Amino acid sequence: MKPLLEVKNLKKYFSTPAGQLHAVDDVTFNILPGETLGVVGESGCGKSTLGRVILNLLPATDGEIYFEDEPIVGVKRDKLMQLRRNIQIIFQDPFSSLDPRMTVSELISEPLETFKIYKSKSERIKKVESLMDTVGLAARLYNTYPHELDGGRRQRIGIARALALDPKFIVCDEPVSALDVSIQAQILNLMQDIQAEKGLTYIFITHNLSVVKHISNDILVMYLGKMMEKSEAEDLFNNTLHPYSKALLSAIPDPSIDNRRKRILLKGELTSPINPKPGCRFAVRCPYAKQQCFEVEPELEEVLPKHFVACHLTREINQL
Amino acid sequence: MKLLEIKDLTIHYVLDEDTVEAVNHIDLALEKGEALGLVGETGAGKTTTALGILGLIPDPPGKVISGEIIFEEENLLTKSAGQMRKIRGEKISMVFQDPMTALNPVLTVGDQISEVIKLHQNIPIAEATARACQMLEMVGIPAERINEYPHQFSGGMKQRVVIAIALACNPTLLIADEPTTALDVTIQAQVIDMIRDLRAKIGTSMLLITHDLGVVADICDKVAIIYAGEIVEYGNLTHIYNETAHPYTKGLFGSLPRLDIMVNRLNPIPGIMPDPTDLPQGCSFAPRCLNKCDRCDIEPPQNHEISPGHIVRCHLYAEDADDCREVK
Repeated sequence: MKPLLEVKNLKKYFSTPAGQLHAVDDVTFNILPGETLGVVGESGCGKSTLGRVILNLLPATDGEIYFEDEPIVGVKRDKLMQLRRNIQIIFQDPFSSLDPRMTVSELISEPLETFKIYKSKSERIKKVESLMDTVGLAARLYNTYPHELDGGRRQRIGIARALALDPKFIVCDEPVSALDVSIQAQILNLMQDIQAEKGLTYIFITHNLSVVKHISNDILVMYLGKMMEKSEAEDLFNNTLHPYSKALLSAIPDPSIDNRRKRILLKGELTSPINPKPGCRFAVRCPYAKQQCFEVEPELEEVLPKHFVACHLTREINQL
Repeated sequence: MKLLEIKDLTIHYVLDEDTVEAVNHIDLALEKGEALGLVGETGAGKTTTALGILGLIPDPPGKVISGEIIFEEENLLTKSAGQMRKIRGEKISMVFQDPMTALNPVLTVGDQISEVIKLHQNIPIAEATARACQMLEMVGIPAERINEYPHQFSGGMKQRVVIAIALACNPTLLIADEPTTALDVTIQAQVIDMIRDLRAKIGTSMLLITHDLGVVADICDKVAIIYAGEIVEYGNLTHIYNETAHPYTKGLFGSLPRLDIMVNRLNPIPGIMPDPTDLPQGCSFAPRCLNKCDRCDIEPPQNHEISPGHIVRCHLYAEDADDCREVK
């Protein structure tokens, strides 16, 4: 099957007074239609920047992105508008991503008006009503304002807005992080149902590994702008190869008191992504790091079928 | 021996038009040296309970309607503002959720730690500063950084400073309100590990407020699940995690995506938390409950001790609840 989205050697650097901030550095992946790629990492690893560069909300510094074989990087404005009909985004914070002065129906019909999808107002209203039904918003909320609603319902508005143009691909940037667990589960189920029904493709950006495992086919682990490991979701959890992924997995507090996992505690904190030193970005915190790791940057390598790792010592650590 | 005992505590926020029933008839007990996890979702009344213990409920609009908070055999609710000021920071201290806003940006971390010591203990400044250095070392920050300002520290480090301030006077009770929620997982793991070590070393009792059942399993001995201002289930870790009894607690576990178990669909709790200005007449969880029967809509449930130390507030466990169980 042909991939829906191809990202090749994508780079996004920001110029800061202190130097070049390497937010996304040489990221490469494909997503097949109907699948979900989970992107995980801690704050500052570049996962949100990656999402925004894919949408061309931020221009890429270098590299290529193809959506259905059409390039996204450096595309002209009218072409970009067309692309955006097919690529949408759901934002993290349903409290700040909705205009407080617009009603639910105005918010959801805004994309329809921007793209002049329907000629008559009645058709547009019908579409808004059907979108509200799809995302589980009661019809009586049609004229309410976001501040009258709880976080879960607001996030449903965000999802309805993203779905309004019948896109093929949605960038989900931490869509459930601001929600309580019982509401989070409702939204995750909704997103899975919509995906199955409409054959959508997702890139699901989050810091929550349990959520990403639940929803993804493939998972990409990022650290300071770099890809550390990428594999099928099950494989990443059952056969974790990269030392950072191992530590990240073991750090999740497990809501169970049986068979407690042994925790790998990382030393120190994230180093600065501004003018990063040569070598592996994770080396300073890595329990296995050797001289080589501080000097040569490891390449992403297919260590096992469909399982990519960027680490000099993968084979040694995992006895492959 | 009981260090803290909360009996029938009710706290309301009285507004012009309506009354927010934030905490309703809470009973809680904490033994000396124990760590109790208070778990609930946004708006469940976790933070109000903590502020109530510290006497920090903003009045108006907050009002303690009824109840007693017995700490070291004295009722904190009868204390004057001056007496409470002596207790806060010395005997009971608090770690706030967001380390970015809990610290004063124009004071060095050393000044902020020694401030508490100077306030409560009559010792020379040099000694207070030396003690601040010790505290920094204890939370894993080199003492040389004592003259640095909060902006020079990362989020995890700032939270360590906040914890150092809270522990500076060796309090008997530490209230930690979501101490790791704002941190990244690997940093959270470091802070959890440190809290566990410190508790083992200095034996402070702790009330940990969180929404994360994973963090509770890591740190606490006892757990109280709070919903709409009521404790719906209380017990030790085994009771809550392996013998889960209340339908809400079961719903919470069903909502969590798990790393060890593969499920295709989560089982969320339907609906949303009731409006605290308009709580249901019967059980506040009834509108979302899958085991609901007629009685739940009319009559608020009582506490039932289903095994020693495991208390559930639900009609399902009443002796005369046969009709409820049939529905189930």
